[in-house]
Amino acid sequence: MNGLRNRGGRRKDAVPAPAGGAAARVGGRLRRVSPYLYIAPIALTLLVFKIVPFFLSLALSFTRYDILTPPVFNGLYNYQKLLGDVMLGDAVRNTLLYAVIVVPIQTVLALLLACCVVGKGNRLTARFAKAAFFIPYLTSASIIGIVWKTLLNSDIAAVEGFFALFGLNASTLLGSSKTALPTLAGIAIWKDLGYYMIIYVAGLMNIPQIYYEAARVDGANKWWEFFKITLPLVKPTTILVVFLGITTSFQVFDLLYNLTGGGPGTSTMTLVMYAYNLNFKSNNAGYAMAVSNVLLLIVAVLSILQRKFVRRETSEW
Amino acid sequence: MKQNHFSLSQLLTDLLLLALGALCLAPLVYMVIMSLNDTYSSFAISFNPKDFSLHHYWDILQNDKLLRYLFNSAVYSVGGVLLTVAYSCLAGYAFAKMDFKGANILFFVLLLTMFLPTEVTLVPQYIIIKNLGWLNTYQALILPLPGAFGLFIMRQAMLGVPKELMEAARIDGCGNFRIFYQIMLPLVKSSIIMLVIFTFMATWNSFLWPLVVGTKESMRTFTVGLSTMQTQYDNNVGGMMASATISFLPPFLLYLVLQKRFVEGVAMTGLKG
Repeated sequence: MNGLRNRGGRRKDAVPAPAGGAAARVGGRLRRVSPYLYIAPIALTLLVFKIVPFFLSLALSFTRYDILTPPVFNGLYNYQKLLGDVMLGDAVRNTLLYAVIVVPIQTVLALLLACCVVGKGNRLTARFAKAAFFIPYLTSASIIGIVWKTLLNSDIAAVEGFFALFGLNASTLLGSSKTALPTLAGIAIWKDLGYYMIIYVAGLMNIPQIYYEAARVDGANKWWEFFKITLPLVKPTTILVVFLGITTSFQVFDLLYNLTGGGPGTSTMTLVMYAYNLNFKSNNAGYAMAVSNVLLLIVAVLSILQRKFVRRETSEW
Repeated sequence: MKQNHFSLSQLLTDLLLLALGALCLAPLVYMVIMSLNDTYSSFAISFNPKDFSLHHYWDILQNDKLLRYLFNSAVYSVGGVLLTVAYSCLAGYAFAKMDFKGANILFFVLLLTMFLPTEVTLVPQYIIIKNLGWLNTYQALILPLPGAFGLFIMRQAMLGVPKELMEAARIDGCGNFRIFYQIMLPLVKSSIIMLVIFTFMATWNSFLWPLVVGTKESMRTFTVGLSTMQTQYDNNVGGMMASATISFLPPFLLYLVLQKRFVEGVAMTGLKG
């Protein structure tokens, strides 16, 4: 009630405010308080749903906890267990392998396509390509699961024929432990390619045309232009695309939940999937948090590295 | 740039872009075609428009369970967008245009939460929601949603608004909140639209969080429902494709209408790095 009256008072006072006295003092205090009122909703949300969970995750990783009964402190046991965990080894290996397939391919493809698109200015093909590559990015993992599983398992001649071009049998791609992870990676690239391409298009547009004109006067060809002008000048964007790619690859969950569920066997079990299963299937929340904290450590180190790289790049400019 | 005349290399890259673009769209084209085919199996797929029917869509509209999923998704998305935009604009305004003690450190701490992978916070968040007794409620879906990303975007946008505009309004007798509401918000409209797009995409396509907090069937979102449907109605390919198409439609329509904003938004996330 008090607050309401104060606010009214301040508003009336704000115009001439020659009166000074009590009303002005109240207004002054409110002005000091009010920034915090503006911030309170988001700060509270982030405190309760991000910061507290972070510390909770740290604390509970030192306990045996199954969510139903109170946690029991067990020291470094969970972290010691990490070292000898064969499943975790598989999960780490799969996560790394996935990132190693996805990131280079999607980065190179995105850059090449962006170069093609930018070189065409506003031609119809460029506009079509931009839209066509971006539209898969709008799909959810559930849609991808339904559509790709059906397509790969169907007898549609065009689909089978397409994969046969590469010597692949469409219907066994997701079901075999050798090809499941690369197939997931391929589908992920299909989905995200347009997103990274757009980031590159923005980066390429920032390169001043003067460089190209100068090179052309010197008689440079397209390839020389690409390697000597485009590639060095678009490097900050490349660093960003690579690190965004790595961090999202390390957190992949939705896609494999919908396409393979981590199988066959543990062939597509990644770190996040493993942590999810530990918590929601094996009721081993304490250990699950130790696993996610390892993931956090990796992502944090990568983020810091990226900041360092980017800062150095931009200062060179 | 000027040499846009006809050349062999231009033609070749044109063809390449067309072919690759068509290839990228192919799975989604198949999705729509299969949803229009009257049959239940993907093996008898027909591209002949004469064989198309809306039969599967009609079925979905009469399926109470699916309608409930759609309703849940709509509540989640609309609520999430409103809350995120409101919170982000308010706090962005304070951080951009007000001087107060601890502003920098507070902003830095809040921004740091952006680097927490969802998976680290997932289990503790679940524990918190569970202890609040909020499992299977809309607030469990919506309240944790607003993040530091929106705050960052809105603060950046508002930093760009000249102080003179605010001073003029203050002399005219506007209070802080009125300046915010009547002057600031209209000036950062394009950033708000961007935030709406991103938040809508994040909620409509969101999978993990709704899966975790909506354990009851009546609280599933359409995206999660779609995923569970897969195992239940494996034989009705047409029905599944129609559901997938419906789920794809809102983001797709939004993209068609706001194509330029989408591209600007993605480009901006790129420059933010």
